Amino acid sequence: MGAVLDRGTAPLLLVPSVILLLVILVGPFFYMVWTGFTDLHYALPGRDGSFVGFDNFRRLMQEDQIFWKSFLLTMKFVFWVVTIEFILGFALAMLLFHYIRQHRFILTLLLVPMMLAPVAVGLIWKLLLQGDLGMVTYYMRLIGIIDLRTAVMSNASLVMPAIMMIDVWQWTPFVTLVMLAGLLSLPKEPFEAAVMDGAGPVQVFRDVTLPLLRPIIALVMLLRGIDAFKEFDKVFILTGGGPGIATEMLSIYTFRINFKNWDLGYGAVSAFMVYLVVLIMCSIFYKAVYWNEGRAKPPKAGKS
Amino acid sequence: MKNGSLLGKARQSALLATALGVAALGSTDALAWSLEEAAAPYKGTTIRTVGEALPPLEAMDKLKSQFEERTGIKVVIEMYEHSEAVNKVMLDLNSKRGRYDFILQPHRELGRFVKSGHLESLEKYLNDTKLRDPSFKPEEQLYQGLWKEISWYEGKIYGFPFTALTMYMWYRDDLLNDPKEKSGFKAKYGYDLKPATNWKEYTDIAQWFTRPEKGFYGTAIQGKRHEALWYEWLNFLYSFGGDMLDTKSGSECGPVIVNSPEAVASLEYYKSLMAYSPADTLNYTWDDVMALMQQGKVYELIMWNDATYAVAEDRDASTVAGKMGFDLVPQGKGGKVGQVEGWTYLVPAYSKNKEAAYLFIQWMMEKSQQLNQHLNGGASARPDVYAHPDVQKISYSKASMDTNAVAKPKPTIPESPQITDILVRELSSYLSDAKGAQEALDTAAVEMSKLLGSCAPLKYPVQ
Repeated sequence: MGAVLDRGTAPLLLVPSVILLLVILVGPFFYMVWTGFTDLHYALPGRDGSFVGFDNFRRLMQEDQIFWKSFLLTMKFVFWVVTIEFILGFALAMLLFHYIRQHRFILTLLLVPMMLAPVAVGLIWKLLLQGDLGMVTYYMRLIGIIDLRTAVMSNASLVMPAIMMIDVWQWTPFVTLVMLAGLLSLPKEPFEAAVMDGAGPVQVFRDVTLPLLRPIIALVMLLRGIDAFKEFDKVFILTGGGPGIATEMLSIYTFRINFKNWDLGYGAVSAFMVYLVVLIMCSIFYKAVYWNEGRAKPPKAGKS
Repeated sequence: MKNGSLLGKARQSALLATALGVAALGSTDALAWSLEEAAAPYKGTTIRTVGEALPPLEAMDKLKSQFEERTGIKVVIEMYEHSEAVNKVMLDLNSKRGRYDFILQPHRELGRFVKSGHLESLEKYLNDTKLRDPSFKPEEQLYQGLWKEISWYEGKIYGFPFTALTMYMWYRDDLLNDPKEKSGFKAKYGYDLKPATNWKEYTDIAQWFTRPEKGFYGTAIQGKRHEALWYEWLNFLYSFGGDMLDTKSGSECGPVIVNSPEAVASLEYYKSLMAYSPADTLNYTWDDVMALMQQGKVYELIMWNDATYAVAEDRDASTVAGKMGFDLVPQGKGGKVGQVEGWTYLVPAYSKNKEAAYLFIQWMMEKSQQLNQHLNGGASARPDVYAHPDVQKISYSKASMDTNAVAKPKPTIPESPQITDILVRELSSYLSDAKGAQEALDTAAVEMSKLLGSCAPLKYPVQ
């Protein structure tokens, strides 16, 4: 490239991509932030987008109990699904790595739920858990987990665990896939050295496997964490946020403010909070990856 | 309709006088006016609309080719699920793109559309002798109260009813007349099995027919966190003598009374029906309970008239066609009640083909189109349609007319959809045991009062 284009011309090739990013990503983001400082409301006359300063932020932080309930519910959802998916996914990856030779075929089968659109997953499970005719409901009643008068999606205490279970069903294969790829990419020498030094399987796992996999672990948890925090489709299809506010996660609540009530100024602030949390999560995981590893920091651009 | 201010009354009278005057003046032109001539300047244009994918719109879709042949105006109809149809319109109106030349919307949206300047008043077209068919006399041909409630706002005409909706009681007439059921019921409850006229009877009958081991239930409530829940509960609220706001018409703001003792009693009663409903009843909307009835799995429901055809008449879709009975919602302290609801034809201010849209709407309001639409699952706002012998034969016609006669208006002010959203959330919280009935309605009342401002103080103090 350097032979064809000089240093002044090369950056020009990036201009279309940069413009595209500005138009579809950066521009709308700043517009959203600006909207958060206005009273824009599509449904109420007179709320035409006048500047209101930090009013929407203050209302969200100080007055909106439902927002905070949704926020806490979302954080609980993220914690449980990421933890369970990680443990199950890692265990499956170890199993495939150590004991199953034909793991490629099995992995392909395992990946099916992950390849389904979230809306399709929601619809499938809506049918499976349907209170009168659902197949899963039938077997749950058969083995006595629930009685004839109970339906999972209509029961405030069962519905959230059920949604978590569906998410685990869908996304554990993703964790397995990434962790297995990580395991396959590890060098053999540290393991051989550890065994020669007399380390047992548990010690090898704790002192060699886990430290070497740390960037992969952080990556997979970051990706799942962000995705789980934005969970919308399945919940919307399955419960719409109900019963009551039992499944009203932050994305559902933000959708409701924006596209049910059309309170776009306030809705922009709620959406901004989603962005802010994701940003904080990225920052935490980024630090986790490069924690105590100055040598592993990404190379600076332009030094090749 | 219960009238609003004196100014509103005066304005309405003037408008009606104008409309009648135009009709009278136009009587000599009645023979001269033709749809083909009126539509000639718009030949070749395409008009687009959007509405809810239900039998009335499907019937309109089948009828439109007749209009297209006569006028050369092409009609494109977009059909979506209820919420999607509303959202599409909201985005189009606010973007001012004018994608839709006329729209079909639930009347609760009327206030916010009018107040935001999104709608074109149709008075201009009604007064235009080139466009108005002299035989089209809405001031005589439509149910006046219904038309003014769902298509007028603050004394101005914005549209015409697409569907005159209301809810009433559905029940299984075949089971009601089964001798074994009749004798068994009488032995247990001490009175004859007949369509419920009050809520105690409704409960008794629901209890009698609840047989979970056979997959059959006395009733089913539309308990999902969805608009369906609010609409259904309103029947109980009105019947128990309660209301949401203390007003006389939908376009008025007034004190909040949704947490009255009557409202709390209605909600507690409503929840008690869960005992006779399928286990998944808190995940049901109108679609689900309609399917239950079609499959013959439930005895009685409170349901919509525009869904009745698919259950009572459509033998391809329903296992209980010809076996259904219909009657008014059982009576409580509030007496005979029903609710005014309807989708209405409206013309956006940003439409590029307003005249062509008006001509199509006017054509659809003609008796022959209304009759055809009604017989195929519609719900006409023309009394002469209900008087037609073919309509009289339909099993639900009487219940529909009786309910329309006692139907109460509901808010159409700009904040109405938000009021619905607040109430849906609180009703759902109560049904799922997250709150008590009083607490849920108090929360709703406080939020409604805050949303509406000084015009809507709390009439019942919050505990």
